[in-house]
Order: sequence, then structure tokens, then C-alpha cells
Amino acid sequence: MRVFLAILFFAPILLYFVDFATVLPQGIHSLLHVQMIPAILSGAVGIIVLQFVIALFFGRIYCSVLCPAGVFQDMINRVFCLGKKKSKGVRRFSYHKPPNIFRYGMLGLVLLSLLSGLTTLVVWFDPYSNFGRIAANLFRPVVMWGNNLLADVLMRMENYSLYHVTIHTVTWAGLFSAALILLVLLVLTVFRGRLFCNTLCPVGTLLSLVSRYAFFRITFKEQLCNRCGNCERSCKAEAIDSKRMKVDASRCVACFNCTSSCTKQSLGYRFAPFPGVGKTTESRRKFFATGAGIAASLPVVSALASSVESSPVVGSSPRAPQLPVTPPGSMNLERFKDQCTACHLCVVRCPTQVLRPAGLQFGFDYLLRPYCAFKSSYCNYECTVCGDVCPVQAIQRLTKEEKRTTQVGIATFHIDRCIVYTEGTDCGACSEHCPTQAVHMTPYEGTLTIPQVEPALCIGCGGCESICPVNPLRAILVVANEEHQQVAPPEEEEVEEIKIDNFGF
Amino acid sequence: MKRREFFKTGVMAGVALSLNFDGLQAALDSNATALETAPDLVAVMGGEPEAMLDKALETLGGIGKYIKKGQKVVIKPNVGWDRTPELAGNTNPLLIKALVKRCLSAGASKVTVFDHTCDDWLKCYKSSGIEAAVKEAGGIMLPGNDEKYYKSVAIPQGVKIKEAKIHEALLEADAWINVPILKNHGGAKFSCAMKNLMGIVWDRRVFHSNDLQQCIADLCTWQKKPVLNIVDAYRMMHQNGPQGKSAADVATIRSLLASPDIVAIDTAALGLFNQVKKLDMASVGHIGKGASLKLGTTELSTLNIKRIKL
Repeated sequence: MRVFLAILFFAPILLYFVDFATVLPQGIHSLLHVQMIPAILSGAVGIIVLQFVIALFFGRIYCSVLCPAGVFQDMINRVFCLGKKKSKGVRRFSYHKPPNIFRYGMLGLVLLSLLSGLTTLVVWFDPYSNFGRIAANLFRPVVMWGNNLLADVLMRMENYSLYHVTIHTVTWAGLFSAALILLVLLVLTVFRGRLFCNTLCPVGTLLSLVSRYAFFRITFKEQLCNRCGNCERSCKAEAIDSKRMKVDASRCVACFNCTSSCTKQSLGYRFAPFPGVGKTTESRRKFFATGAGIAASLPVVSALASSVESSPVVGSSPRAPQLPVTPPGSMNLERFKDQCTACHLCVVRCPTQVLRPAGLQFGFDYLLRPYCAFKSSYCNYECTVCGDVCPVQAIQRLTKEEKRTTQVGIATFHIDRCIVYTEGTDCGACSEHCPTQAVHMTPYEGTLTIPQVEPALCIGCGGCESICPVNPLRAILVVANEEHQQVAPPEEEEVEEIKIDNFGF
Repeated sequence: MKRREFFKTGVMAGVALSLNFDGLQAALDSNATALETAPDLVAVMGGEPEAMLDKALETLGGIGKYIKKGQKVVIKPNVGWDRTPELAGNTNPLLIKALVKRCLSAGASKVTVFDHTCDDWLKCYKSSGIEAAVKEAGGIMLPGNDEKYYKSVAIPQGVKIKEAKIHEALLEADAWINVPILKNHGGAKFSCAMKNLMGIVWDRRVFHSNDLQQCIADLCTWQKKPVLNIVDAYRMMHQNGPQGKSAADVATIRSLLASPDIVAIDTAALGLFNQVKKLDMASVGHIGKGASLKLGTTELSTLNIKRIKL
């Protein structure tokens, strides 16, 4: 049941990330809005409360069902256990004391970083975003290569149902970050099970604050236990102390491996609120205090986080040498930096592959965030996909009309590099690709025409820059707007009825 | 004895194969037109795309003159932009649909359609209505989105470009038909039959940086020329081309031209264009350069032209 549910959530998320041909329905991204960090960052208080209530009733179901990184670790574990003896495989774990200082320290740091409006730490530790990067930068290219191989074979057999895809979105930074976290997850899972979830993961630790009081939890029936220790050895969270017959509910990820390993029916998932018979009152008091504290603080955290994010930072932020063109809907650079967790969902869903994960070219604080790479692609005039899918709402939803008037940058023309000027021949590639005709051709020498930019019409889509044939430095470049601007909607021109009677030749 | 028999059979078979009944067939199909010599160029005005196509083909002597039984045929429309048919950025899908059908009924073994689009190819294929039209007509819509589909070929007669990567569908085809839409163009000033060939190559930046007008003419010297050019001028974008901004850029002039002569058809199309907007022959450099490369003639008076109003 647990495995089934986990697959129910995991499979669509994984497929959504690798689905390069947009076969799947767009709506799948709503599955991602229940992810904890995105919910906190987008201020979805309802979802946060719901997650806590679930954790309070049933424990950290989240970690074994909803969290793609958690389910992914379980899959690594399963693969590792294939063909191994139980003692070397599924039952290779042993109880460890909870690393409380470390995990609460990590949580504190991440929450602090959220509050201070720096998502840098969140980027590195949010389980969902980490999984997103693995799927986007490692799994997806593999699937695309596979598709290309298959497409070639089918083409030879006169079957055109598949087509070749070009992979533009994988950058070194993206690849490196994905490989790094994959390696971390592999090593931790193989040696220590769900250690990531109980040390580095801010979501795991946050939920542990509540799940320690879970109403339904794994408990021992002491009279039935023969102290075989199977449960302890099969616990990926290393949370079962079989000698003392204690289960650390704060670290338990509700995978139920222990209950199936117990031959005596001693271990079970039972209704057992407020454990510790002797200290009931104290425990209860503590529970209410903690519960109330968390419940009260989270909306505040969330609100604070979003207020920090939405206030444009004025003043002198140390400027990177060059500003990135941020996706339409991200409003301004500072806000976007503060809110984006670099899950790369927009990168994989962008139909023109113009969004790519940044390296260090825009400074460390923009690392891995998506930017518009106009070198070989541009932002489609009518497209609003990135804002539609962003689970964090770092890229806000825009209507088509809003998108067409959102200016993310302005094209700047350098005549000294332009073909028309340097070669004295026709070109006009930039104007051809301009959807608003902000870049238009004006009379030049003889029959030649040369581009001219009307900044008030330009939305910075990069059509001009992407197609300019001048290398290596293009003759027309989009300069980013640090704060996105609005341009006037295209004027409604009157449609004249044109009638002709003669061929003209 | 056996050997003699074998040769006999072989010779007989050869003779039988070399007999060509196409002329006879065409004559039987349309008694009237077969008597006159077929025109070099046909211009039709005032009908729907399919009706104008049929009139033009009939006047030229039937599709069977260009497409033979069993041939692999490629149709190359302009599908450059993520635009609906009403905005006239792409060739009219009704025309393409009718043409695919005519090719198939002429006995083509396979009719494929593609373009190297400017906007995202999936959006272009969809918005233009061409993908759906081709499928309905029984043709195959091929992708042209990846360099993988393009193979390098020599263009020995080219002045500026000597080789280009051309879509493999064309390299394999027995015959191809060039079906541009007539429109204004920011870079080349005018986009029609010759300019439409830029959609058969992979790297267009090279064209733009090496004298666009000459490169367009150069590409048209590629030895495998279209058997026929059919210009869609049902709707014509007379300004803000090649993408267009709105319906205000479009004039509905319900016309169609057809000719095997790519220079002549562009010359004629320019005349038609001038009925709506003024545009000098001199500024559309590639037409004159095409004539210099002996791809056809700009002297329309030397040709047998049929002008038909429906």
C-alpha cells in the first residue's frame, strides 16, 4: 500500500520532468505544489498546515510517499538490495542515536536563510529541488538520447512517430549539481539508509518536530517481542532501538519495513497518542506547547519569507558583471533570486529550451537559477509555460496578454558589428524574428535597409539576438531589466479591405 | 537457346519499360489543353485555394506531367512561424492539403512535407494548420528540427556558398514541389519561391552573413530543382513580414501562380505584390541574381503566360 501510494506520486513527477515532448498533461505540476519547501516559499499556508496535521496524525508519511527524493532513496535501496543476502541487504542497518544538534542546527540555518531572504541554502538542501535537478540534468538527457536512438531506428523503417530532439538545457553547473547530490544520496543510502532525511533535509527535520507526537505510530507489544532485532536491522531511518524496544517517532519515515520484518506481530502501526505513561502530563504539556508554537510560527515564517521576497531590495547590491535575463513573471532579479529554489522544472518544460541553469557567470547567488540563454534560442511570444508550472511561484503566472507586454530586457543594437554596415549586404535576420517589430528595418545606403530598435515596443524575448549571424559577439544583444517593465499592448491597427483586379504583370 | 531466349525477353522488357504513355494519358484526360502548347506560367485569381490549384494544374497539362507513378514526392511549404492561417505567415493549409491529394492520386508512392521552421517547430506545424492538413490528405509530416536530418551537399554553381546542409527527405526524393507564400520580408525585402528554399537548409546564419541576396540565388542552383513552383497568394502579408503582427498586415487577394521557372514566378509574384505595395525589382536582389545564374528569366514578355480569373 505504501509502495503503491509512493509510486502513485513519484511516477508522474519523474515522468513530468523527463517528458520532453509534452505528452503528459500540463496539470501534473499541481502535484508539486504540495511539496513542503515550495509551499512555504509560495506562502501556501493551507498546504503547510495540512502537512503538519497529517504528520501529527500519521507520522512522516510525507517522507515515504510525497517526497520524490525520499522515494528515490527507497528505490536506490531496493536496487542495492537486489540479489544480496538479507543481512547484507535489507537488514544491514543498526540503531543510531538521533543527531539532534546537527539536524536542528541545519533546520535553524535553513529557516534563517529563508527569513533573511537568501535561498542559497534552501537551494542546496530542499529535497524536492534536489530531486528536480537530478531528474532534469541526468535522467532527462538519458531519456532524450534513448528517444533519439529509437527515432533513428524507426526512421529507417519509415516510421515517423518519434522525432529527434536536441538537448540544449544541460549546462555544466546543472550537471555538476545533479551529479553531486546523486552521489550524496547514493552513498548515504547505501551506508546509512535515510540519513539524508534525518540530518540534512530541512523538511524531514521540520516534520520530525510534529511526528514525534504522532497519534498513529510504530510501537512494540513488549510481551510478544523475542528481541530478534530484525526490526532494528531493517529500519532505514536507524530509529529502532530493539534492545530497549523504543522507536524514535521523530525519525521514523513510516516505511513499515519493520512491521513486515517482525515475525511475532510485536511491532505494529497503532493508535498510541502521548506515549510515556509515567510522564503523561509533562509530555502532553510539551506537546501542546511545541504544537502551538510551530502552528503559530509557520504562517509567520511563511509570511515573513514572502514579504522579504516581494519587497524589491533597494540600494547597492554588489552587482555581478552582467545581469541575467530572468524569466517573464519573475518580476525582478532580487525577488527571483530570493524565491527560486532551482528545481529546474521551468527549464525542462520550456518549449524553446531558452531557460538554462546558470553557472557562476552571474555571481554565486544566481548559481543554478534559470536564465534566458539567447545564444541559440528565444522566448516564444505567446508562451507562459514557466510561470504556469513554477511550484514556488518564483515565476508568477501571466496571462498571454500580460506576457506579451512584459519587458524582461531591451535589445541594444551595435551598428559597428552589423552585417549591413560591415559587409554592405542585406541581412535583417533580427527584424525577421522580432514579434513586435520593435526591431525594424529602416532605409540605409542604396537599396539596403538596416535595423533600428524601438525600446518602447521591445519585450526582450531575444529573437533578434538568437538569430544574429555575427560571431562571436552578436550585433544585437538583449540587456536585462533588473526590474521587469510593462510595455504598451500592441496597437490595434485598422484592417483595410484591399481589393485588386489585375495581376500586375 | 536458353541464352537467346533470355536476351529476347530482356530486350522486350526494356522496350516495354521505356514506352511512356504519360503524354497519351494527359491528352486523353484533357482534350482541349493538350492541343495547345502548355504555358510557362499560369496565374489564377478569384477562387478558393483548391479550385485555383486545380485550374492551374489543368492549364499546365495535369499533375501527371510533373509527378510520376511510384515517385517519392516532397512538398516544401513555408511553415516558418507560429501563426494561424489568417495571419498569412505560412502557406495556406488548404492549398497544401489539396496538393498532397493530387500528388497521391497521380500515383506518388509517398508524399512528405517539412520545413525548417523559425519558431518552435511543433508550434509552427500546429498553428499553421499544415500538419493536420497533410495528415488528413494522407501525407507524412516530417520533422526538420534537428541538424541530424540535414546532409551536406555541394552547390558547385554557387557564387558565395559552395555547399549547404539540406534536409535528407529532399535528397531521397524523386521530385519536389516548392509551395511558398508570397509576402513582405524584412531581410530579403520579398519572400516567395526562391526565398522559400532557405527552409530546406540547416544553417541560415551563413546566408545572412555572406550576402543574403546572393546566397538565396546560389542555393537555387542546387542541381535537384523543384519540378514545379506554386505560389500561394490567397492571403498576402504586405508589411511587417515575414512574421507579421496582425491581420492589418494581410491583404486577401485570392491568387495563385504556378510555373517550373523559379525566377519567372518570383518576377510575376513581385508584379502582383506591387498591386498592393510598392517594391522595386532592384531591392529584391536575389531575383536578378537568379537570372544571372541562368535559373530562369525575368523577361515575362518572352514567356507563354496564362492569366485566368475565376
